Amino acid sequence: MKNDTIHLMGVYTGTIMKSWFQYKVDAVLRSLAVFLREATGIIVIYFTLLKFDTLNGWDIYELLFLFSLLFLTYGVLIIFFTGLRDFGRTVRDGGFDRFILRPRGLLFQLIFSNADWFAAIGHGGLGIVLFVFSAGNVGITWNAGSVIYYITAVIGGVLIQGAIFLFLATLNIYLLETNSLKELFYWNMRKFAGYPISIFHKAIQFCMIYVVPFAFVNYFPAQYLLRKEDMAGYPSVYMYLTPAVGAVLYLVTYGFWRYSLRFYKSSGN
Amino acid sequence: MSFIEVNEVSKTFRVSKRSAGIPGMLANLVVPKYEKKRAVNNISFSIEQGEMVGFIGPNGAGKSTTIKMLSGILYPDTGSVRVNGYIPYRQRKEYVGSIGVVFGQKSQLQWDLPVIDSFELLKAIYRVPDEVYQKNLKRFMDMLDMSGFINHPVRQLSLGQRMRADIVAALLHSPQIVFFDEPTIGVDVVGKETIRNFICELNAKDKVTMLFTTHDMQDIEKTCKRLIIIDKGSKVYDGLLSGIRDAYGTTRQVDVEFAQDCTVLPIEHVEIKELDFPSGRKKRFLFESREVQIDSLMNSLLADYAIRDLTVSEPEIEGLIRKIYNGEVAQ
Amino acid sequence: MISLYPYFAFAKKSFLGRSAYRFDHFMGILNTILRIFIFWEIYRALYGGRAEVDGVTITMVATNFILSLGLDSVFCVNDYYLPNRIQDGSIATEMLLPVNFHGRMLADNLGNALFQLLFHFVPAVAISVIFIGIAAPADPLMLILFFLSALFGYGVLWTISFVAQMLSFWLINVWSIMTIKNVFINVLSGSMIPLWFMPDWMSGIIRFTPFSSIYFTPVQIYLGQLSLSEILQGFLIQLFWIVFLFSAGMFLWKKGQKKLVVQGG
Repeated sequence: MKNDTIHLMGVYTGTIMKSWFQYKVDAVLRSLAVFLREATGIIVIYFTLLKFDTLNGWDIYELLFLFSLLFLTYGVLIIFFTGLRDFGRTVRDGGFDRFILRPRGLLFQLIFSNADWFAAIGHGGLGIVLFVFSAGNVGITWNAGSVIYYITAVIGGVLIQGAIFLFLATLNIYLLETNSLKELFYWNMRKFAGYPISIFHKAIQFCMIYVVPFAFVNYFPAQYLLRKEDMAGYPSVYMYLTPAVGAVLYLVTYGFWRYSLRFYKSSGN
Repeated sequence: MSFIEVNEVSKTFRVSKRSAGIPGMLANLVVPKYEKKRAVNNISFSIEQGEMVGFIGPNGAGKSTTIKMLSGILYPDTGSVRVNGYIPYRQRKEYVGSIGVVFGQKSQLQWDLPVIDSFELLKAIYRVPDEVYQKNLKRFMDMLDMSGFINHPVRQLSLGQRMRADIVAALLHSPQIVFFDEPTIGVDVVGKETIRNFICELNAKDKVTMLFTTHDMQDIEKTCKRLIIIDKGSKVYDGLLSGIRDAYGTTRQVDVEFAQDCTVLPIEHVEIKELDFPSGRKKRFLFESREVQIDSLMNSLLADYAIRDLTVSEPEIEGLIRKIYNGEVAQ
Repeated sequence: MISLYPYFAFAKKSFLGRSAYRFDHFMGILNTILRIFIFWEIYRALYGGRAEVDGVTITMVATNFILSLGLDSVFCVNDYYLPNRIQDGSIATEMLLPVNFHGRMLADNLGNALFQLLFHFVPAVAISVIFIGIAAPADPLMLILFFLSALFGYGVLWTISFVAQMLSFWLINVWSIMTIKNVFINVLSGSMIPLWFMPDWMSGIIRFTPFSSIYFTPVQIYLGQLSLSEILQGFLIQLFWIVFLFSAGMFLWKKGQKKLVVQGG
């Protein structure tokens, strides 16, 4: 049965690739557009720091390193969770009805029939560029320990954001439209997450740590590696919690998803 | 226990209510109003294995909602559904492998890819063994004459071709039950005929159980023996197709062309109309089937008059069903 | 005499259509406020207690973000109005209607914009002003000129989209083009980084693009940074871009229409 699942993943991926190569020029342009769109925030912070030098003690390389974690995790995330991000549309056009009618896991189908490899290249590519550009200039000693830490932090960060997507997708079962909610809880929080959270109002910091825990995606892991002064404002154990937060959050949200499916209303007609 | 058991099932949706005009819009922005719409209201029926049942009703009658409950997409609010021993919405993964669903309005094919790629994907999803897949594919392709477009991208297909491909897509895993939701919508006359013949053959040879919604009565007349009609969420008729005539269409009509002008003496319970006035050569005889035996009427006409031509006609099912929808027929 | 009535009808329809997504609407307002707050907090940290940087006070920075992000919420442009109609083929029938297509496009956007002005801009700006504060307008005349200039700013933004939409006659999918277009607008219009802080070589480039006319010119007028002659110059530049971009768009439209006719719609 295990082999069979992997086989199906392969068939799904092949199907997606084939679809894209029907429009070659568009596929390339798309990756480029995603790359540029995501780079907007970076360009802005780069110009800003040309004028101001540091942001609460973080120089441009350290900020780019902080950003790189955000984009790397998103690059991985977009492979696995695009289907959840676009769940509202899938419900509206009847695609989810069709998933229900097929003898496979619903999440499995949502994930693997929607993996957005081109966006992943755009985001992940940006993450890698930023990482390469910054990692050598922020004084991290890369050894087995820090590499392992880094990898688990990325996995944890992917799970945290995956849980947010899954939560929002689940809300879609109850509400017709959740785009604004997604805008608020995901995209806006993500905009905050590009910067050291210590610069923000206490209420926003609280949100970033305890409500939509983006701080665990990049700020605390970056702090483990960079040890900036503003970490003094938070319990130091937070630097180690990312994988646990990711796992717990994802499991709890998954339970909510399973529970909510019975209320699914389908669309139209 | 029947193959498909639907027992006192209801389903209610909450729909938001819009008020008109700018004041209404402002009010709606602050306090939204909702109303409950009962899509399916206490419906029960059962279907035996191998049956082919037409499931019809006007738009918004609750057909799709019922199909969605039968196929496991929706949970019923109250009542129970059991198909082939499964409770569809609780035992989804085990159940759906044994059913096929065709939504005429929503294709399940990959829009940008050749038809065959979608089939290959479905083969993997349903874990169809190679030899079964090849056998089914070859057979269905022959029956539906698909070899001409199997390698074309779906977006280039005509509606009729796409529908045929969608039907095959729903059958590749040899389902025991197939739900068709408007499988001929937008298809031309020849295409419809191909689809109907295919469905009939599948039912006859493979004993596949089928439930069939459509707005085209010809679909039903050419495929189904049994008919379930629902309206406003409730079942209004469940029985043989021919039973519709017995129940609602009891009027018979005999048109007679006589060899020469003639006057016919009044017959009890029979209304006589002139069709070729002022000549008396063509007449129509209308009567209720329970009051007048058709053979005795004909015998007496043949005995007394020289007749050139004679047609007996029953009322059109389509007309009768329209009457049922419109509430013109007492139930 | 062209009757404006049908255009009002289209504008009203899009205005009323907005009420359908109540929850979305409130979230949208919150979204704008949050964006303003993020930039406010970042600049507070960047200023680190300094009264001013390069002659720009933190209040001016706050004013820049409140006004330009506020206007951003009002400046509704549906980038896919034409592309969607070309993709699904409905453009052919729509061109047969006895209503000017561009007029309809604009009316549709304006209906939305009016709704946003009343129910999005006003509450979002009010709340931001309460929590952050804003510089008072230089004088009442400047406030009036600010709104006038903002109207032209919308014209510039709209005509940029107008030109970009015309490309859909030749491209199957314009999503990438639109996205890249919006990247330019975001970076160069001053809504994410006040143009005062751009390096000189960037300012030199931006001067020759339409982007600073969208939000930054109105903001400068509001703050009283421009003399009357500079204001006049600002208006002329805005008008120039509107006329230039609209003409370019119309040129492409004519070409595109021909292409559509040749293909048989």
